[in-house]
Amino acid sequence: MKNALYLSLSILILGNLGHFGLPWWSLVPVAALAGWLFPLSAGKNFAFAFAAGLLLWLTNAFLLDAANGGLLSAKVGVLFQGLKSGYLLLLTGIFGGILAAFGAMTGRLARGAFVGEQAKR
Amino acid sequence: MNLPGLKGKVEVVYDDLLVPHIFAENKEDAVRVQGYITAQHRLWQMDIATRKAAGRLSEVLGERTLNLDRLARRRGMVFAAENDILAWNKSPEGMRLLEAYTEGVNAYVSQLSPANYPVEFKLLNYAPEPWSPFKTALILEAMAETLCAGENDLASTNALAQFGRDTFQFLYPEWNPKQRPIIPDTGQWKDWKVNLPPLPAVGTKAGESANGSLSGIFDADKHDFFQNENPDDDYIVGSNNWAVAGSNTASGNPLLCNDPHLNLTLPSIWFQIQIHTPEQNCYGVSLQGMPGVIIGFNENIAWGVTNVGHDVSDWYKLQWADAARTKYSLDGEVREVQKRVEVIKIKGKTDLLDTVKYTVWGPVVYDHEPENPLRDCALRWITHDQPDPKVIDVFIFLNAGKNYDDYKKGISAFDCPAQNFVFASRSGDIAITVQGKYPVRAPEQGRFVQDGSRWSNAWLDFIPAERVPAMKNPSRGFVFSANQHSTPPTYPYYYLGNDFDDYRGRHIYDRLDRMKNATIDSMKTVQLDNFSQRAADALPLMLRLLDQNKLDADGQKMAAELAAWNFHYDADATAPPLYEVWFDSCYLKTWDEMTALRAQKKQVLIPERWRFIELLEKDTANIFFDHPATPQRETARHIVNESFAAMQNYFRQNPQKRTGWGQSRGFVLKHIGQIDAFSRLDVTVGGHGSAPNAITRTHGPSWRMIVELGEKVQALGVYPGGQSGNPGSRWYDNMVETWAKGEYNEILFLASAGENSSRIMGKQTFTPSSK
Repeated sequence: MKNALYLSLSILILGNLGHFGLPWWSLVPVAALAGWLFPLSAGKNFAFAFAAGLLLWLTNAFLLDAANGGLLSAKVGVLFQGLKSGYLLLLTGIFGGILAAFGAMTGRLARGAFVGEQAKR
Repeated sequence: MNLPGLKGKVEVVYDDLLVPHIFAENKEDAVRVQGYITAQHRLWQMDIATRKAAGRLSEVLGERTLNLDRLARRRGMVFAAENDILAWNKSPEGMRLLEAYTEGVNAYVSQLSPANYPVEFKLLNYAPEPWSPFKTALILEAMAETLCAGENDLASTNALAQFGRDTFQFLYPEWNPKQRPIIPDTGQWKDWKVNLPPLPAVGTKAGESANGSLSGIFDADKHDFFQNENPDDDYIVGSNNWAVAGSNTASGNPLLCNDPHLNLTLPSIWFQIQIHTPEQNCYGVSLQGMPGVIIGFNENIAWGVTNVGHDVSDWYKLQWADAARTKYSLDGEVREVQKRVEVIKIKGKTDLLDTVKYTVWGPVVYDHEPENPLRDCALRWITHDQPDPKVIDVFIFLNAGKNYDDYKKGISAFDCPAQNFVFASRSGDIAITVQGKYPVRAPEQGRFVQDGSRWSNAWLDFIPAERVPAMKNPSRGFVFSANQHSTPPTYPYYYLGNDFDDYRGRHIYDRLDRMKNATIDSMKTVQLDNFSQRAADALPLMLRLLDQNKLDADGQKMAAELAAWNFHYDADATAPPLYEVWFDSCYLKTWDEMTALRAQKKQVLIPERWRFIELLEKDTANIFFDHPATPQRETARHIVNESFAAMQNYFRQNPQKRTGWGQSRGFVLKHIGQIDAFSRLDVTVGGHGSAPNAITRTHGPSWRMIVELGEKVQALGVYPGGQSGNPGSRWYDNMVETWAKGEYNEILFLASAGENSSRIMGKQTFTPSSK
């Protein structure tokens, strides 16, 4: 269970590198690295990475939106078929989750392919 | 903050409306920072405006804007901007300032990363480009396209051919005797000697046109000329301005007001700014991409502009000398067209190479459209001419102006788009100048499509600067303009005007003429005045002709409502929607002769509304009230009653329209890119094109300014938008409500960067780059 915690924490912390000038997709290699370093079963790898990515992007989106008083998200929501702000934030979170999960999965599989180590149960 | 190229330190103070107040040690630094700041707040707007003018929209928007791009190119917009640059290069001082401005913009653009692009770039997926003086020229040309491209040549030619000389003159008189010209005749021009060019031959009978050789060629059976024409939108752009002398104000200080009526968009066309240098302390609104303040004031003077209605755009029918249409005859001599290849990039497609032919007159705009009635015509348009090189300095100079002489000197180079520059000074002068470059025309020259095979039809001369209509300190104590005729017909030069009904002008005149002890508050009531002189002229005549006893109960209720109306287009008034539908119906049913021709795609001029009202008053049995399709002879009475029934029917079918005027007419404040999410579609306002508060569905007062030039300048201003172009900013549309409610913001006019005010939000200091 330790690896699950490490994987989640490293995505939550290193995923913020995006704030320091790295592009949004820096989340993916970060998650891949975590997936490589902290081997988990396929299911757990996906689930924890997804949860961490979702939490990370949802929180960040929420903070940015709060700082802007919800002005831009309301307008962008209209662009997306009248989506409400809250759903837009949730959608952002889900994207973060998916990116992190696929990243972590890639790391896990790469480790399997290059190191050959069996994933722990 | 480092800014390369600065010579000294520049301080920028932001107030609570996000207005930047620039304090610089010299002019060049000031405009450099102005460029930087303008880009910071309005970069996408700057980009899209120049793309539109240059015919480069398709490059980022794809094929859907191709026709717009082709038309911009074919009308010579790029050609005109290139000529601007040729002229400006002869003004090194002005060019140096423009380059500093450009570098300021580019300093901002070059430090942007894709993540920081304005949201529109992200949505449309393209990157900002560097600015250039050429793009500033494009902005100026975009204004020319909006303000001085109006003409009725083809529609007048067709009307003359259709109705004959006498009827034509009867239907389309050029002078409304009730109107108040900007400059009245005070005998100032009675001794002028004027050489007019020779008069072209003009036909006198039906079937003949302005020039015998042109008869019958302007039918356009298949051309869809009217797809965008909506008779409801009779008013497109205009403006009001006036100045009241100290003799007529309560404080004894002169007052100056201006409200230019333009297409209202988000972000707004205007950007408020204060520019302080050792030579000047100036505040007002600027245009994106242009250094300096366009409409504003300093400690000593104030000025404002409205558009001049002079027609400076003519069509000339070419006499081709070869089948390929590359040679044409001029006074019997064969000339070759000059070909200019326009390369139009289209997103996702191969480039379109469009060859535009240029003649001595100008470009042959429509020869790519075989059905177009103007296919063989060339466009002579003032804005294609190389301007006075000093035009580049006009606003920079005016911004530092101190008195009447500076004002006259400053604006003297301004030739296009012609503007009525109103002026007031703290020392007590008021003035107005119909500033621009106007061809000397023979009577009716340019009213119709002209014969392009004769050079004698050309603009051979221009009205000398000292004879351009102007007025200083009239005894009545005020000057004003509302796009009406510059002068009465006694002015020795022929005025060819684009039809502005002049109802705004008449009412503003009446208000100012009666006003003694004017104050800032009384100026507000004029700018916000919803009274329509047009409705006041027309409705009593219509009611007089209405057979009220024959109406049903609902009809009688409507008639009573109309009779009780005070002619104010207030947002909650319920009579204006009834009147509008009724009047439009009367108008169009009367001119069914023209609308029938239009339905056959033949462009024919419809008489102006004032002329219609005049007939309603004086000539109710006129043949034009008759419907040619019916056996009996109709009169104005028939039309009025028939239209009343049509109006009742309209509201039976559209009951939701029978409500307050603001709601019924509707109002849209659209994002420039037509993105609804970034638009304001929830605003309800009154006003009408024929009232001083000239709000229509899409257009209206784009900047309301009132300035009192006292010991300390007091000024108010508001525009429907906000300083930021970022839809996610709270300053994107924070002035919309203020504007819609008819309120104003007090202008914070700082004397120094260190001045204290509770409205100051923050300060930014720009320093020369250390490298």
